[in-house]
Amino acid sequence: MASSSSSSVDQVSRRTQILTNHLNQSGFAPYSSSSSSTSLEFSACINFSPPELSERIEFDTKEMRKLLDAHNLEDRDWLYGLMRQSNLFNPRKLGGRVFVWPDYNQSMEQQREMTMKRIGYMIDRGVFEGWLTAQGPEAKLRKLALMEVIGIFDHSLSVKLGVHFMLWGGAIQFFGTKRHHDKWLRATENYAVKGCFAMSELGHGSNVRGIETVTTYDSKTEEFVINTPCESAQKYWIGGAANHATHTVVFSQLNINGKNQGVHAFIAQIRDLDGNICPNIRIADCGHKIGLNGVDNGRIWFDNARIPRENLLNSVADVSPDGQYLSSIKDPDQRFAAFLAPLTSGRVNITVNAVYSAKISLAIAIRYALTRRAFSVAPNEPEMLLLDYPSHQRRLLPLLAKTYAMSFAANYLKFLYVNRTPELNKAIHVVSSAFKAATTWHNMKTLQECREACGGQGLKTENRIGHMKAEYDVQSTFEGDNNVLMQQISKALFGEYIAAKKGNKLFKGLGLEHLNKSCPVTASQLTSSTLRCSQFQTDVFCLRERDLLNRFVAEVSEHQAQGKNKEYAFILSYQIAQDLGRAFSDRAILQTFTEAERALTGGPLKEILGHVRSMYALITLEEDSSFLRYGYLSTDHVAAVRKEVTKLCSELRSHALALVDSFGIPDAFLSPIAFNWLESNSWSSVQQQLGGTTFASAI
Amino acid sequence: MSSQNPINGSEDQGFNRCSSDHYSAKWDIVFVCSALEKKPLLSCFSFETSFFLSLFLQILVEQESYVRTIILNRPQQLNALSFYMVCKLGELFTAYEEDYNVKLVILKGKGRSFCAGGDVAYIVRDTIAGGWKSGAKYFWNEYRMNYLLATYKKPQVSILNGFVMGGGAGVSVHGQFRVATENSIMDMAYFVFVLLIVFVEQPRTNSSFNEVFAMPETAIGLYPDVGGSYFLSRLPGFFGEYLGLTGERLDGAEMLACGLATHFVPAKNLLAMEEALCKVTTSDPAVVSTILDKFSVQPHLKEKSAYHRIEVVDRCFSRRTIEEILAALEIEALNSSDDWIIAAIQSIKKASPLSLKLSLKQIRKGRLQGIGQCLIMEYRLGCHAVERKLSNDFFEGCRAKLIDKDGSPKWQPSRLELIQDEIVDQFFAKMDDQEWEDLKLPRRDNLPALAMAKL
Repeated sequence: MASSSSSSVDQVSRRTQILTNHLNQSGFAPYSSSSSSTSLEFSACINFSPPELSERIEFDTKEMRKLLDAHNLEDRDWLYGLMRQSNLFNPRKLGGRVFVWPDYNQSMEQQREMTMKRIGYMIDRGVFEGWLTAQGPEAKLRKLALMEVIGIFDHSLSVKLGVHFMLWGGAIQFFGTKRHHDKWLRATENYAVKGCFAMSELGHGSNVRGIETVTTYDSKTEEFVINTPCESAQKYWIGGAANHATHTVVFSQLNINGKNQGVHAFIAQIRDLDGNICPNIRIADCGHKIGLNGVDNGRIWFDNARIPRENLLNSVADVSPDGQYLSSIKDPDQRFAAFLAPLTSGRVNITVNAVYSAKISLAIAIRYALTRRAFSVAPNEPEMLLLDYPSHQRRLLPLLAKTYAMSFAANYLKFLYVNRTPELNKAIHVVSSAFKAATTWHNMKTLQECREACGGQGLKTENRIGHMKAEYDVQSTFEGDNNVLMQQISKALFGEYIAAKKGNKLFKGLGLEHLNKSCPVTASQLTSSTLRCSQFQTDVFCLRERDLLNRFVAEVSEHQAQGKNKEYAFILSYQIAQDLGRAFSDRAILQTFTEAERALTGGPLKEILGHVRSMYALITLEEDSSFLRYGYLSTDHVAAVRKEVTKLCSELRSHALALVDSFGIPDAFLSPIAFNWLESNSWSSVQQQLGGTTFASAI
Repeated sequence: MSSQNPINGSEDQGFNRCSSDHYSAKWDIVFVCSALEKKPLLSCFSFETSFFLSLFLQILVEQESYVRTIILNRPQQLNALSFYMVCKLGELFTAYEEDYNVKLVILKGKGRSFCAGGDVAYIVRDTIAGGWKSGAKYFWNEYRMNYLLATYKKPQVSILNGFVMGGGAGVSVHGQFRVATENSIMDMAYFVFVLLIVFVEQPRTNSSFNEVFAMPETAIGLYPDVGGSYFLSRLPGFFGEYLGLTGERLDGAEMLACGLATHFVPAKNLLAMEEALCKVTTSDPAVVSTILDKFSVQPHLKEKSAYHRIEVVDRCFSRRTIEEILAALEIEALNSSDDWIIAAIQSIKKASPLSLKLSLKQIRKGRLQGIGQCLIMEYRLGCHAVERKLSNDFFEGCRAKLIDKDGSPKWQPSRLELIQDEIVDQFFAKMDDQEWEDLKLPRRDNLPALAMAKL
């Protein structure tokens, strides 16, 4: 106790010192009539006024947050608080407020170590309890909620955990059987083992079936032998492999008695408990990346590495001790499909993360636009707030509406996923592919627009948005390249179409039921009230999807009639495939929005959501050229849409603050320009930073 | 220095409910004294006039060029805040903020207490007699005054030379400078104290004080208020949860260590410090800070202080639920012979289970909200508590500890696991009564950066 007490005394005196610095330097300038040289008079220049004091809040933002976050609000707040209160999360006080964000100025190695330390802190507080061992939808939702909060702090932290729990842990859950569950799940949950997921190779990413790693079986020792036969077969981008992981799931071709049985998954140890790399394993670093440097991506080579027979994850296929291949699923295609199930959970995760990233950037950019002024309309008039410029509204508010729409879509996907049944697997695959692509593209677009909307301030790492562009760029690639996903959606819709027509059956599932009805007709004159009518919006989205599906089927069939095989016919029809993929995503997203709206019984919340939904629908009509290209809307229609978007912008302007407040992201997780940027950039703030005021909790 | 009666000091602005309630505040005194004297109520009427006068003496103001020193002057009741005092403080703070000739406001208590908190006697008695509205009215004015202080535009120094309880923290911690001394004792024992003063016979010895302070606020069925959800949640790590849930008291050194106080000045230096402060001619906080620094010393943190155990506090009190916090403490207790863990466990186990859940949720929510949102949330809880539809634990705690003194409150529900989340959630929702409205905070314009950061 003696040593701890002396350190506490140090703490006390350090605190006193810090407080003294703080109090001495906190500028009170407007009221200071003294000659104090440290406080600059800025009252004569620009004054900062918090938007809360001038903007009206006309609906209950807490109720709106309940709709948007949808579940586990208290668990989320607990974790936000857990991070805010710990020095491990790098709290910094600026403008009198505490902000947490990782120190991206640290070296790659330091950032990786910080990621692990943060994980250690959360293990000690029981954040991950039940993430793999608890059953039922509630436990899954809790895990997803906490992952979302972690992602709001730092994408690296969320990815590192995602690899360990969703990919490594998920692979054991889905591909493994009881013996694996008993041995690994608890150990994974408390980090007795650190897992990674070795699927991608240098030569093969999206095309998992083409990977080149080969595993054979040695019945004498009852071991599998894993081998990397060539450089292109090295495992690549394996998160966790470069520094920390002790175990990995290895995806490999399984060769039994000279016959290739296709891709299978095995557990291999790659490091001992002291962190030394195991024999017959070679590991190299993927090196510094444009973002996510808190994740230790590595490359792995297997030199005939031996693992026990029990390490085959044998839920769909097994090898008997004497070397016989046994599988309940005879069709290798189906076997392969079963393997890809865990990737769905990754896509669910990416979808929601992308939406929260867009929320962070919009909350920051809109708050900034409500406090930053530029140019006067007339001489000697006060300068105008950025968000009072119609052009600035047009840049940010449609993105805000889209983020709302995608928030409902992400929630729909999450609930579909946690309540899944085997029959729903196909739907989840298609919907998660569509939403993952739509939200991650939307996020990147939003980040870029918000960065520009914040001007130079958007370039500072402390203001998050600019840096997040690099952190989140990977989302359009990992767990399925977005363009490939779009094509997969179109292929799946093609399959649905053929099945329905051949069997003379009705369309069922994926929201395609509208295809059973007669083709909707759009009014020739589009008035304001028509444009804002949810039936009109739904009709025109459905019309596009229906027509593009017909066109896609026709084009693929035409190529086939010319003698091309089906795969190649798909490849040649890529343009319509892309349009159709988007049409499906947009319609499905709109549908989740109208359903969320329908669940409300009226009042200001429903009213404002109606405006936001109209903005989402109309901006999609305005931006996506397919409506004009294929003639779903005339040029007159599009002109009416554009006019309505402008009107909606000015209407949503007055709710902008309330709409971003409803995201429920705590102030500490936004950034200095979202608050008193005049103070956080003041000279006294500079002095405080020099004085090392990192203490976060002063009242 | 000249003493003046503040009743003529200023126009009532923003606290206009006060003047119309003088009558009710006057009754407060009558009742308190009637209880003290153990006389039938009616016999007090002969004292009415003198009590009416004494009411105005509950707050004194000393005026020295650019400095105003507000003195809480109810030493018999350890300066517990009567309804009158709550309103008067609001008026004075408002007036001094606007008065160009006032540069600095000092707040201190008469006698050995700074301020023993809110006037629970008033609330309990009036709500039993007349429903939730009188309790709500007290909270309304008190929290608005807390908000004003938290966003105050001029430097304000509280001299915490003695007891600082619940509501006393609300009139000091929100201010910019808090000076602790070796006599400081801070307790989050919300509202407890005044009741004791009412029901315990005088004179009291120091040992009877210790008994009093041993009671955590959750033990009488309450939860942090007066902005406690804001400032407790902003203490280092999870020290705020520890204080809020166990009702642990702090001395001056501990207050400084965790940031509840900003300076520690030995009591013998206070007079000189006040004299120096009274010469201030500017509202520059750096000037005030320099003066305070000159009289400050580095106090010794006692060996037994929980602040030495901050790592254990963090490990346990950061857990998600009360149940998990208790479990974590019990695991720590197995590996340690440290008394304070046992004491913490016992405090929690004695407390109202519902209060514990409310307190934890409130601190956790408070951590992510500004001061205004915190006070609005606390106002909802306060109103639900005095309405007694959702729970009677607040009154039951007062009954068991302070009125019947049987020491065994019958908490409803009696165990943590019996509490439904819906009940807890209802405390945070609006009250279902036509006449009820959410707390309306006074409008604050042109705030200094320090105050703006709290919004």
